Amino acid sequence: MDDDRLDDPIRDAARQYNAPPDTPKEEMWARVQASRRLGAQRGKGRRVVSPRYWVPWAAAAAAVLAAGIGLGRLSVSPETVVPEVAERRAPQVNPTAYRLATMEHLGQSEAFLTLFRTSVVAGGNERLASASARQLLATNRLLLDSPAAEDRRARLLLQDLELILAEIAQLSLESREQDLQLIREGIERGDMMPRLRTAVPAGPNSMQGAL
Amino acid sequence: MNDRELIGRVLAGDPSAERALYDAHVDRVFRLVYRMAGDLDRAQDYVQETFIRGFDRLGDFRGESALSTWLCSIAISITLNGLRKVRRFNERETELDDGLQAGSPVREADPDLKVRLSRAIEALPEGYRTVFVMHDVEGYTHQEIADTLGVQPGTSKAQLSRARARLRAALADFARD
Repeated sequence: MDDDRLDDPIRDAARQYNAPPDTPKEEMWARVQASRRLGAQRGKGRRVVSPRYWVPWAAAAAAVLAAGIGLGRLSVSPETVVPEVAERRAPQVNPTAYRLATMEHLGQSEAFLTLFRTSVVAGGNERLASASARQLLATNRLLLDSPAAEDRRARLLLQDLELILAEIAQLSLESREQDLQLIREGIERGDMMPRLRTAVPAGPNSMQGAL
Repeated sequence: MNDRELIGRVLAGDPSAERALYDAHVDRVFRLVYRMAGDLDRAQDYVQETFIRGFDRLGDFRGESALSTWLCSIAISITLNGLRKVRRFNERETELDDGLQAGSPVREADPDLKVRLSRAIEALPEGYRTVFVMHDVEGYTHQEIADTLGVQPGTSKAQLSRARARLRAALADFARD
């Protein structure tokens, strides 16, 4: 793809674009270390999330987790059923359950983003869109922390989706135009809709192995 | 020591391995982030966040790509996210400034190629700019870009082509010269 390359003077000038200085290695390392030490002292990493941010969707998150475990149990073959007298173990969740939960979530996200682009952008419904995005965001984060995210394509898609859902979740009337523009760009930039449609096949028989 | 050994030692809690991993990758990550951010303070913030997140999630790294690619992927994500917030803030500030300075004469300097090119690159859509900076400025291959951004190499090539077309159009008068 170098048959359309820029003229030499422009190419040379491009190499000077935001020319980086020497890497401030020690300064950054000191801050990385300080931040990690602080995270270790807090016990759960450095990220501190306000409970106020999470509490409203805790119910949705718990519901999704329960649904995932339920699907997993349903999908366990009869041969693996452990008799009651056997040693107790943590529930074995079939990876298929996570794949199905992921596809269901991606399908819902696609439908939501389609609706968002056609109705909310035209005006109104920001509050409803924000609430829906928060619910999807909760599910999205659960899936990112689950074995569903072990698949690289699924993980990247969920990560990109997370950014867009987070932006929609923060929609407010005051900053509507700018926020909508950013969200539109986010959807277009990452080819979000085609990727969602690819990840969620149309036919029910083609669900297997789609991710 | 290769990446796999280094990761194993980091995960085992060896501080010298953490530093070795940082030393091995920080220059490449910093160069890319600085090219994207164009500001030392922001670049430092984004690179720090990259390594903090990288160390936190190192256990999730499955070796499907090179460690450098994985780190650059985190770096790009953090940088684009950060720049979006900066842009949103700046747009609001600009609106305020425009309101205050309405009617004042606009001073338009005659920019040289470098300045014009910088502006044209800044004006590119985010995806085009990222691919352009990675390929034409930093010299990444389309495969590396694809791995880093989680797209197909063909998408990278297409975005680069569109970016170049926009730059060529923006700098048409220089090309005629």
